[in-house]
Amino acid sequence: MKTKYAPLMAALTAAALFTGTACSNSGSSSEQTTDPNEKVSLTYWTWAPNMDKVAAAWNAKNPNIQVTVNKQDGGDPAVTKLLTAIKAGSGAPDIMQAEYQKIPTLVSADALADIAADAGSLKDKFPAGAWNGVTLGSDAVYGVPQDSGPLMFFYRADVFEKNGLSAPKTWDEYATAAEKIHKANPKQYLGTFSATDAGLFTGLAQQAGASWWGVQGDAWSVAIDEPNTQKVAAYWGGLVEKGVIDNKPMYTPEWNAALNDGTQVGWVSAVWAPGVLEGSAKDTKGKWKAAAMPQWDAAAPATGAWGGSATSVTTQSKHKKQAAQFVSWLNSDPEAVKLLATEASVYPASNDAASVLTSPPAFFADQADYYAIAAEASKQMKPFTYGPNVNVAYSAFNDAFGKAAESKKASAFTESLTTMQKTTVDDLKNAGFNVAG
Amino acid sequence: MSLKKGRSKTATALLLLGAAYCLLPVLWVLIASSKSSGELFSTFTLAPSTHLFDNLADLSGYRDGLYWRWMANTALYAGVGAAASTLISAMAGFALAKFDFPGKSAVFNVILAGVLVPGVLLAIPQYLLLAKVGMTNTYWAVLLPSFISPYGIYLARIFAAASVPTEILEASRIDGAGDWRTFGTVVLPMMRTGLVTVFLFQFVAVWNNFMLPYIMLGDDRLYPITVGLNGLLNQGANQPAMYTAVVTGALVSIIPLIALFLTLQRYWQVDLAAGGVKA
Amino acid sequence: MTPSASTTARRPVGRRAGTPYAFLAPAMILFVAFLAAPIVYAAYLSLRKVKVSGLGLGAKSRTEIWAGLDNYARSLTDPDFLPSVGRIGLYGLIVVPTMLGLALLFALLLDANRTRESVGKFARISIFLPYAVPAVVGSLLWGFLYLPRVSPITDLFEAVGITAPELLSRDLTLWAVANIAVWGGTGFNMIVIYTALRAVPLSLYESARIDGASEVAIAWRIKIPIVTPSLIMTFVFSLIATLQVFAEPMTLRPLANTISTTWTPLMKVYRDAFTRNDLYAAAATSVIIALATFILSFGFLKLVGRRAFNQED
Repeated sequence: MKTKYAPLMAALTAAALFTGTACSNSGSSSEQTTDPNEKVSLTYWTWAPNMDKVAAAWNAKNPNIQVTVNKQDGGDPAVTKLLTAIKAGSGAPDIMQAEYQKIPTLVSADALADIAADAGSLKDKFPAGAWNGVTLGSDAVYGVPQDSGPLMFFYRADVFEKNGLSAPKTWDEYATAAEKIHKANPKQYLGTFSATDAGLFTGLAQQAGASWWGVQGDAWSVAIDEPNTQKVAAYWGGLVEKGVIDNKPMYTPEWNAALNDGTQVGWVSAVWAPGVLEGSAKDTKGKWKAAAMPQWDAAAPATGAWGGSATSVTTQSKHKKQAAQFVSWLNSDPEAVKLLATEASVYPASNDAASVLTSPPAFFADQADYYAIAAEASKQMKPFTYGPNVNVAYSAFNDAFGKAAESKKASAFTESLTTMQKTTVDDLKNAGFNVAG
Repeated sequence: MSLKKGRSKTATALLLLGAAYCLLPVLWVLIASSKSSGELFSTFTLAPSTHLFDNLADLSGYRDGLYWRWMANTALYAGVGAAASTLISAMAGFALAKFDFPGKSAVFNVILAGVLVPGVLLAIPQYLLLAKVGMTNTYWAVLLPSFISPYGIYLARIFAAASVPTEILEASRIDGAGDWRTFGTVVLPMMRTGLVTVFLFQFVAVWNNFMLPYIMLGDDRLYPITVGLNGLLNQGANQPAMYTAVVTGALVSIIPLIALFLTLQRYWQVDLAAGGVKA
Repeated sequence: MTPSASTTARRPVGRRAGTPYAFLAPAMILFVAFLAAPIVYAAYLSLRKVKVSGLGLGAKSRTEIWAGLDNYARSLTDPDFLPSVGRIGLYGLIVVPTMLGLALLFALLLDANRTRESVGKFARISIFLPYAVPAVVGSLLWGFLYLPRVSPITDLFEAVGITAPELLSRDLTLWAVANIAVWGGTGFNMIVIYTALRAVPLSLYESARIDGASEVAIAWRIKIPIVTPSLIMTFVFSLIATLQVFAEPMTLRPLANTISTTWTPLMKVYRDAFTRNDLYAAAATSVIIALATFILSFGFLKLVGRRAFNQED
């Protein structure tokens, strides 16, 4: 196609010369440069807030490697844009924040560079699970873990106290509490099943012991419609069918209103929840408490993750080495890790996180053990493997579970898993991946 | 006579009802943007509050006034895009209306077909083609595609046919004026009213466009307002949506267009079928 | 000016032969670059696909190959595609008549009120106003108005003691989305029809009135026939807009369980291209939608005898 449009494109290129905003990586040199005194500028796509301030700390110390932050709208749009840019052959940033579940997709699209030579030595600074997320079990390193999102449970202490309840230790206790709260006040719900948040459901399946994708030899395996996930789906479907928890999506004005007026009195979420609660229901400050997740088996506590991301170098970067240096600094240097926690409000993946997270988040100022609970949860994280078509599975989740939640039938919840499984496997096969089983 | 009065009262009532329906969301956003973030989700929906200026200050303070940069970008995209598109449409419309030349009807039919092509379908291949020349994520990526408006050409052709008498062109030629001078000094002024309409159409189309800039731009300092607001709303799971900023931003973003409508309303009288602008 | 002089002027000789082409050049270059080329490219992509080998994790594991009509076959047999086509069919049946009916009604009322400027002016501007609101923003505002806890509509129902309907439930979602389109589009169409009406000299009505015709009869027998070409045009444009409905359901989707990722054909295109990262399937569906748009709108224009598009003077 390139030659076909050559005259036209030449005209357009001429027009491009007049713009000062042409992207930084459209330069002509495609070779890796090694001159240490060469000035390079790198673009960095991230959606974490205030990341420009973190980058400013690096820029002050590294006049030859200047990083410019381009704030993105969130994980999905950023990945969408990156994949389109990769397909187009230009337009990608040098450095990219990538959620763990997107890494196989991005690697499969040849979007992420292997930076094992520059960042491989950081392995011991991160939990094994997080490190596995950036290596996909291979010798390559497709990024450095930035933050993690261990699941935790949040609840309105005042409402629990009024109903004579304490934080549920098991899912059975959660169900009992949900019923009791809703009976006492039919407007109140302990939670909602949100069909728009596939990430949370994945975390819950992870906690129950599921791992939806796997590698068998040179083939992918898919296990979404399997007993552990079925247990989770049947559990939430049962609660929705009984009507003791809500069936409306989270992150809507409606949900915000429910958090504000005290009718949504609990939230199964992750370590970053305080920021969302503060932004959504500021006036309820002081009424919330954090606890460890309810368990399937209290004797063998486990958690899953919701969110969490790595920082990667893209294959289109002209300065992969310098980019890898920044990525390593950002996620392992004590000063940077502190800035990540304080400025960007993320829960750093680094093992050193505990030493910088000394005081609880502002919204939970009274709960001194907040980060102790989070650290404990991090350790209990179950292993989980993501595949190269997570987005397909997630959008199948949105559609199937959206219908199921609307129907309020527990059977529809478990049937949705069959749909997800089929859609995911069909997509892999259609693209030509080897699929086991 | 009383029957007629009754009828006209019904007519007035119906019109006011229609106006109320159309104004309801605007009234809502006006009230909502006067509320603090807590009030937005707790007080009665149509009860106004007093925080409009706080909200505006918060909005202006968001990442060093990024919101105003989005507004300026939008004005640039819509203003420059619509101006260029109007001129290009005027030239093409004039040629199609006032000249006979081989291929004329083919050109016109192709442009008519272009009116029917959805912009959303074009956005992805446009991105891939622009990326091949490294122009994505620049102002040009949004500006250049907005320079061409088949609909604007179609309208300009109608206006040129209706408002530029052939005799005057001939007189100008006999006076020895070149075609370009005739176009600039005679044709453009005569088509002025119609061209303002073409300009307004394209201005609104670019102002309201979401898909193209959403795909083309990675740097949020280049965003127009629609993409920027969408970003504030969808911050990803671990960030709260900035509803107060979104609501206030939505209100502020529609004010310039409302002002444009009020000042130029006489140009909004386009007869799509018969082709004249009754000003 | 004699007719023969006119002919010479319209067929210029010598240096002027290229003039119309010069005037058309910028438009045609841009048309080719930003409309024709992308369409050709989309058609090309729709015949291609990516083949992954093995685990698909290495740099060389993806190759683009010819797919023939595979993508079209997959698109047409996708269990989500036909329901989405049926949905916009129903959506169009709701939106187009309602929107054009209201637009015609308001235009006639404005025209009948020709002498009373203040009310007419206020109503005209108010009804036209939603055209100034981007679809994304308009849908966001209506989204707030649809959600029970934050909506004044709920309060209104509760004030009179009726349980408010859930506007984003399974039965009503289509209507809720249609409402946004009607809200956004009525004003523009009203202005188009109203402008056509204003072209009619008042004296025509006066004589009808003297003949004893009622206002309703005048509207039916004189006014509506006069605005028929405008109605045809607005109908075609509304039809195109219907086939392309995208921004409204896309903005409402996160608010409800009832709008799937393939709720309309264009949403399916978006999902395939961006969520599934399958540009090839998206291109095939795009081509199908574009063809359907052409067939429907040109077919309709043929049916009404092309008079609407004012082909030749």
